[in-house]
Amino acid sequence: MSGATLSSREGAARLPKPRPAGFLATRAAKLTIFYLLLTAMAFVFLGPYILTLFAAFKPIGKIFSEPAWTPPSSLYLKNFTYDFESAGFYRFLANTALVTGALTIGQVVFSTLGAYAFARMNFPGRDTIFWIYLLTLMVPNAVTIIPLYAIMREAHLLNTYWAIFLPYVFGAPYTIFLMRQFFRNISQDVIDAARVDGCSEWRILARIVVPLSKPVIVTATLIAFVFGWNNFLWPLIVTNSNNLYVLTIGLAYFNTNMDAQWNYSLAGSVITLLPMALVFAIFQRHIIRSISITQIR
Amino acid sequence: MTKLEAPARSPGQTRAERRRDGRPPNRMLGRGSGAHVGRSGLRAFLTAVPFITPSFFGVVMFLVVPVVVLFILSFENWNLLSPATLAGFNNYINIFRFDGAAHSVTVTLYYVLLNIPLQTALALGMAVMLNRKLPALGIYRVLFVAPYLSTPVAMAVIWYWVFDPRLGAVNAILSHVGITGPQWLASPTLAMPVVAAVNIWQYVGYNMLFFLAALQAIPKQLYEAAEIDGAGPFQQFFKISLPLINSTMLFVLVTDVIGSFQVFDTLYVLTQGGPGNATEVLNLRIYQVAFMDFRLGEAAALSVLLFAVILAFTIGQFLFFKNRTTYEYSA
Repeated sequence: MSGATLSSREGAARLPKPRPAGFLATRAAKLTIFYLLLTAMAFVFLGPYILTLFAAFKPIGKIFSEPAWTPPSSLYLKNFTYDFESAGFYRFLANTALVTGALTIGQVVFSTLGAYAFARMNFPGRDTIFWIYLLTLMVPNAVTIIPLYAIMREAHLLNTYWAIFLPYVFGAPYTIFLMRQFFRNISQDVIDAARVDGCSEWRILARIVVPLSKPVIVTATLIAFVFGWNNFLWPLIVTNSNNLYVLTIGLAYFNTNMDAQWNYSLAGSVITLLPMALVFAIFQRHIIRSISITQIR
Repeated sequence: MTKLEAPARSPGQTRAERRRDGRPPNRMLGRGSGAHVGRSGLRAFLTAVPFITPSFFGVVMFLVVPVVVLFILSFENWNLLSPATLAGFNNYINIFRFDGAAHSVTVTLYYVLLNIPLQTALALGMAVMLNRKLPALGIYRVLFVAPYLSTPVAMAVIWYWVFDPRLGAVNAILSHVGITGPQWLASPTLAMPVVAAVNIWQYVGYNMLFFLAALQAIPKQLYEAAEIDGAGPFQQFFKISLPLINSTMLFVLVTDVIGSFQVFDTLYVLTQGGPGNATEVLNLRIYQVAFMDFRLGEAAALSVLLFAVILAFTIGQFLFFKNRTTYEYSA
C-alpha cells in the first residue's frame, strides 16, 4: 500500500460516520457483554488462588465437608505451623532463598560482564565466542540433565548446595544476548568521552553502562530469580536429603507422601507461591513492559 | 530472527578515524601509538579476559561439554554402580524395544498438539480483546499474566486438588448442574487434556503479552483505510493483524513448542506418567529410565532423541514461516 493512497484516505476517515439509530444502546450492550466475558475469564485465572487461600486456612474436616468456595469461618493457622515446624518448610524456604539468591546474583553479574565485553569491547575472537554462546541457545535444558548429572557426580558435588545452582550461576546465554542488545544502544559518544578521560573498562561499565541499563538488568534479575525459585527437575535429581531440599522438591514429595492431606499440601503451596506473588506485585509493571525487551526479532 | 552483524561502529572508534583508514584502530594503547596489530590485539584480549571468563567457563562446562558427554553416554552402558562399558548402538535400539520410546514420542507429540494450537489461538484472542482503548483493561491484563510466574509444582498441587474426583471444585460445580464429573486424572483419555489445560492456563497470559505488544505496534491508519474500503472486523484481523504479527507468531510458536516438548513438573505431580503409561512424555521417561531404573546410557539415548525431535520441529517452523510473505511496515 503506497503512502499516497494512505494519506488521501486518512482525510476520508476523519469525516463523521453516519450512526444508525439505537447506536448507543447497542454499544452499551456490547460493552456489558465484553466486560462480563473478561470478568468470567478473570475468575478462571484467579479462581485456583482464591480457593487455595480459603482451603489453606481451614482444618482438614472442613475441606472435606464444605464446598471449596466457602471462605474459612476463622483464621485457622495450624496448617502453616505444621508445615513450617514439623514438615520442614522452614528449611525448604531457607534453602530455596539461599540457592536462588546465589544463582540470581551470579547470573546477573557474570552475564553483565560478558554482555559488556561482547557489546562494547573489541578483541580477537569476540564474534567466534559470541557465536558459540548463540549456538548453545539451541540446546534444550532437558537434554543436558543426564550429562550434567554425570559431571556433578565426577566432581563429587552431588547432594550439595553447589550442585543446585552451579550450572546456572556463571551467566545465561539468553540473558547475555538480551543485555548485549541493550548495551549496544547506549550512545558511543558517552563511552568514547570516558575512554578519552582514561576511564578503565570496569569504571565505564560500573559508572555509565549499568546506570543506563536498569530496565534490562531488572529483567535479567527477574528471569534468574523466577528460574531459580521454580526450578524442579534439576534439584530433584541432585539432592536426596531433607536438609538440602528446596521448596519445589519438599512440596512435591510432601504431596505424594501425604495423600489427601489437602490442608497441609495446599498451605505448602501458599508458602511456595507467596514470595513469587510479592515479586509479581512489586514488578508487575516492569514484567509487562519488559516483554518488549525480551522479544528477539 | 537473530541477526548477527558487526556493530556499525566498533568501540573506541570515531567517525573520522574510520574514514581515514577503513580499519578499526586500537585505542587500548592510546592514540597514535603505532603498535603492532598483533600486540595490541593481545592487549585487547587480555583486557577482555576477566569480563568473558566466568560466562565462558559456564557455557563450556555446563552447555558445550554436556552435549559432548551426552553423545558419549548414549553409546555406553552405565548403571552408576560399576564403570561404564561400551554399548555401541544398543541403547538406541533398546529404547525402542524395551523403553517405549515410540510411545513416549507419540504421547509427547499428542501433548504438544493439545497444547500449542489452543494456547496460541487463545492468547491471540485475548490480545485482540485487550487491544482497545477502554477503562480497566490493564487490570485484566495483569490478572491474565499472574499464572506465568507461579511455581509450576505448587500450581500442579493445587490443580490436583481442583480436579480431585470427590473433593475437587470442578466436579463440585458439575454436580451442581446435575452432571457426575469424570475421574479426570485417573482416566487414560482425560488425563492428558487436563495436563494440557493446566499448562495453557499457566502460559496463555504470558503469550498474550507478546501478541498484544505486536498488535499495538501496527499503525492505526491501516485499519482506518480498511474500514473505509468496507472491511469488517474479521477481514481486518485476517488481512491486516495476522500478516503483520508474523515474526511474533514465529517467536511465540518456536519458544512454546520447545518448552512443551520438555514438559515435566506438572506431569510429575499430576500423573507421574499414568494412568498406566498414558501421559509418559519423553522428558518423564528420561527421568524414570535414568533415576529409577539406573540405565543412564539409555536415558542419554532418549535425550538425544528428544534433542532431535525438538531440533526438527524448530527448523520446520522456521522453514514454514520463511516461505510465507513477511510484510514490512514503517510507522
